[in-house]
Amino acid sequence: MRIAAFLPLLAGTTLMAQTIDRTKPPETPPIPAFKMPPVHESKLPNGLSVFLVEDARFPLVSVRLSFQAGSKFDPKDMPGLAGMVASLLTQGTKTRSFRDLAEELTSIGASLDGHVSPDVLTLGGSVLAENTAKLLDLLADVALNANFPEDEVALRKQNRKQALLAQRSQPSFLASEKFDALVFGDHPYSYIAPTMESLDGMDQKSMVEFRDTYLVPNNAVLLLVGQLPPRAETLKLVSDRFGSWKEKPVPAAPAKTFPESKRQLVLVDRPGSVQADIHIGRLAATRTDPDYYPLLVGNAILGGGANSRLFLDVREKKSFAYDAHSELDRRKDAGVVTAVTQVRNEVVEPAVEAVLGNLSQMAQAPVTAEELSDIKNYISGSFLISLETQASLTDQIDLVKTMGLPDDYLEMFTTRVRSVEPDQIQAAARKYLAPEIDSIVVVGDAAQIEKSLEKFGPVQVEKAK
Amino acid sequence: MKFAFAILILLCAVLQAAQPVIPIDKYTLKNGMRVILSRDNAVPVVAIYMIYDVGARVEEKGRTGFAHLFEHMMFEGSANVPKGMHFKTVESNGGTLNGSTHPDYTDYFEVLPSNKLAVGLWLESDRMRSLSITKENLDNQKEAVKQERRLSFDNRPYQTAIVDRWPELAFQNWQNSHSLIGSFEDLNASSVEDVAKFFKTYYAPDNAALVIVGDIQIPQAKKLIEDYFGDIPPQPKPAKPDLSEPATPTPRSDVYHDPHARVPAVLIGFPGPVRRSPDYYALAMLDILFTGGPSSRFQLNLVKGKESLIQYQAEMGWPFCSSTDYKNPGDYAMFLLYKPSFTPQQIVEQAQEEVAKIQKDGVDAKELERARTLLRSERITALQSSLNRAELLGKYEVLDGAPELINTELEKFLAVTPAEIQAVAKKYLTPERRTVLQILPAPPPHPDAHVEPKENQ
Repeated sequence: MRIAAFLPLLAGTTLMAQTIDRTKPPETPPIPAFKMPPVHESKLPNGLSVFLVEDARFPLVSVRLSFQAGSKFDPKDMPGLAGMVASLLTQGTKTRSFRDLAEELTSIGASLDGHVSPDVLTLGGSVLAENTAKLLDLLADVALNANFPEDEVALRKQNRKQALLAQRSQPSFLASEKFDALVFGDHPYSYIAPTMESLDGMDQKSMVEFRDTYLVPNNAVLLLVGQLPPRAETLKLVSDRFGSWKEKPVPAAPAKTFPESKRQLVLVDRPGSVQADIHIGRLAATRTDPDYYPLLVGNAILGGGANSRLFLDVREKKSFAYDAHSELDRRKDAGVVTAVTQVRNEVVEPAVEAVLGNLSQMAQAPVTAEELSDIKNYISGSFLISLETQASLTDQIDLVKTMGLPDDYLEMFTTRVRSVEPDQIQAAARKYLAPEIDSIVVVGDAAQIEKSLEKFGPVQVEKAK
Repeated sequence: MKFAFAILILLCAVLQAAQPVIPIDKYTLKNGMRVILSRDNAVPVVAIYMIYDVGARVEEKGRTGFAHLFEHMMFEGSANVPKGMHFKTVESNGGTLNGSTHPDYTDYFEVLPSNKLAVGLWLESDRMRSLSITKENLDNQKEAVKQERRLSFDNRPYQTAIVDRWPELAFQNWQNSHSLIGSFEDLNASSVEDVAKFFKTYYAPDNAALVIVGDIQIPQAKKLIEDYFGDIPPQPKPAKPDLSEPATPTPRSDVYHDPHARVPAVLIGFPGPVRRSPDYYALAMLDILFTGGPSSRFQLNLVKGKESLIQYQAEMGWPFCSSTDYKNPGDYAMFLLYKPSFTPQQIVEQAQEEVAKIQKDGVDAKELERARTLLRSERITALQSSLNRAELLGKYEVLDGAPELINTELEKFLAVTPAEIQAVAKKYLTPERRTVLQILPAPPPHPDAHVEPKENQ
């Protein structure tokens, strides 16, 4: 209280004394730490893990019900099944049609959608806080009683096929598809979408089977964040709706075996492309690997944000591209690091050269003290900012609970980032960034750019499907 | 203590109003720069939002895309911020930033940990005061914009049709109908003198508003703003171009063959009502009935029902604006992606049939109540982010001169009656006022005939 009363006075004092020096950035205190709200954890007798987090800033409640049932659990001959199950969960239950669900959700100011990542299938949504119990009614009905009506399945299949065609017209989709196929080999992480054939094979029966196998309480995490009713009342709301759900043994996840990384160069021919999409990278550390934080920091120096080496070199200095960055795809069982840029056809060769050069440089020399201090601030600040809204806070807590991360992951994130040293980054770069064994995927007009790629290895040209 | 106090205020507000009340402290500096402060200390984050009252609609013939090219120049350095330092300074202080060009305004933001407020003000004031305008920077940014055009438009399905062709159909006044991203020819023609003139004319403090939302102390913030911006000289008010459209719209249509598209689409638009007139609120509610949420009419009747649509988007101001951020004149337009087993004419008829149902049968009270709840819920959700709040406050200030609309406008939407909705369907959404652009998949160009579009024309 005393501090609050004193502050304006302090501002008044500085007003008299200060003249602004515009020639350099003003001095400011260090970035404040993220303060994690308390997470209350409990478990129903059927094995459903329940996490409650009070967030009273706005009259909203966010909900996630997440299953270890992402697309890596698709049957071998049916890529995309988990994704189709996720999108069809909200299209009808034993007692509610799609229209009933849609109208009831809208009338309580709620959203509820199913989606998948490679690892997790999530039913997620939010609601005006006064209607939390009603959203839980609908969530439980969808999770326990979704029945995949045949007409909805047929319509979704048709529309998914058209959406797939539309995706195939995007060069970035074609690049990601080929890149993941190269780096993940036979593992189910290797595809990013269903195929026309796998969609043909899906029906009500395959979806019911998937539901009965994986959508069980002991394979799930329920997370509620927001202006919740008092705890005992909230827990009763949950157990009344999810308590009768039967537990069941769940099959093991696919083995974590991945191919050795090696140089492969594929040009996906997309006639008429006015530029080339370039993806270069390979398998890397997961979030739970000891190399993770050095890799995270090193990758950000290489290609995270507008002050990164790739952005400054490929976009600002050489004017080859609008965008140049590198990304860390962090799945539960494998990480992937990829440098990405899209350049005009005439500069494909020097652009690939520039990306490879920047990757090598990360392994050859330690990052500078200034780069390291800047990037640590950038990561810490962006992390703080990214947790501002309820939805993003909820997603981050959901991530911790579904991806096998330590309970203190969010609270300790900044501290762990700040502890990374230049030699650790260089070691991680030698392991994951030095490009000799990277895969290179380029999507573009082969007639225009094939020759420009030949100096980087034998070019395998494939028609865009 | 402070945190709990903030919650109490919010809770009281919720009990009284449809949405939480956003505090507003608005004043004007001596040089005419408008300032809006909104304190919220729940999270140690601050959003700094600088909005200039200039957009692509002021561009002159031969200079399409210039407002956007200029926006790029704003990141190239100023008297005390060398080239490259803008990005570096924001990021090394833990922040994020961006800028964007719209038909009626251009905006820039930094979101920072709240104790870094002074850093953002230093950057924004230095470029408003003393932007570095050099040929080297301009040439570099021309290339960046061309790459942006290739990436975001020329190499993607639908986008070139939407950015270049659609405005020509939807509007007749060149100020409204020219391409916002511009042609390569016009970009090449832009000179350092153009940049300097544009800067002096439009990037003056009295043509801008600064909004700060987040964990700030009001007296300290006011002092910093005065120190950094107070002595930047004002400029004469720029002349406003005539944006008026013919009073009686004529139906127009065209077909665009898109070599990147694999699925057909159709764009349908109608000239819209005057912004913030009663008709505007009624049409916004009608749009929710058509396309808002999973129980909308387009979802239930066209995606389901007729099983013709795959995806849809619709909004007043679409595609470059939303209902909250355009000046008159605007339109109400929709983008419909549909199954190739239907013809574009069938799709247009089906959309028009949905309009006809409203014209004939009006709106069910229960359905309208659902639309109101959906709107209220989306509004509260959007208000969570400090940057969203800052953007809304800034746009309400520059486009309407009334930032308090952030707290009061929702009531106007919620008060719309079924009869008003039926009336706007009859008045605005008729085939006689309709613009249609079909986008049909086309084979890719023959490899030998390949020409870089527009580069050398």
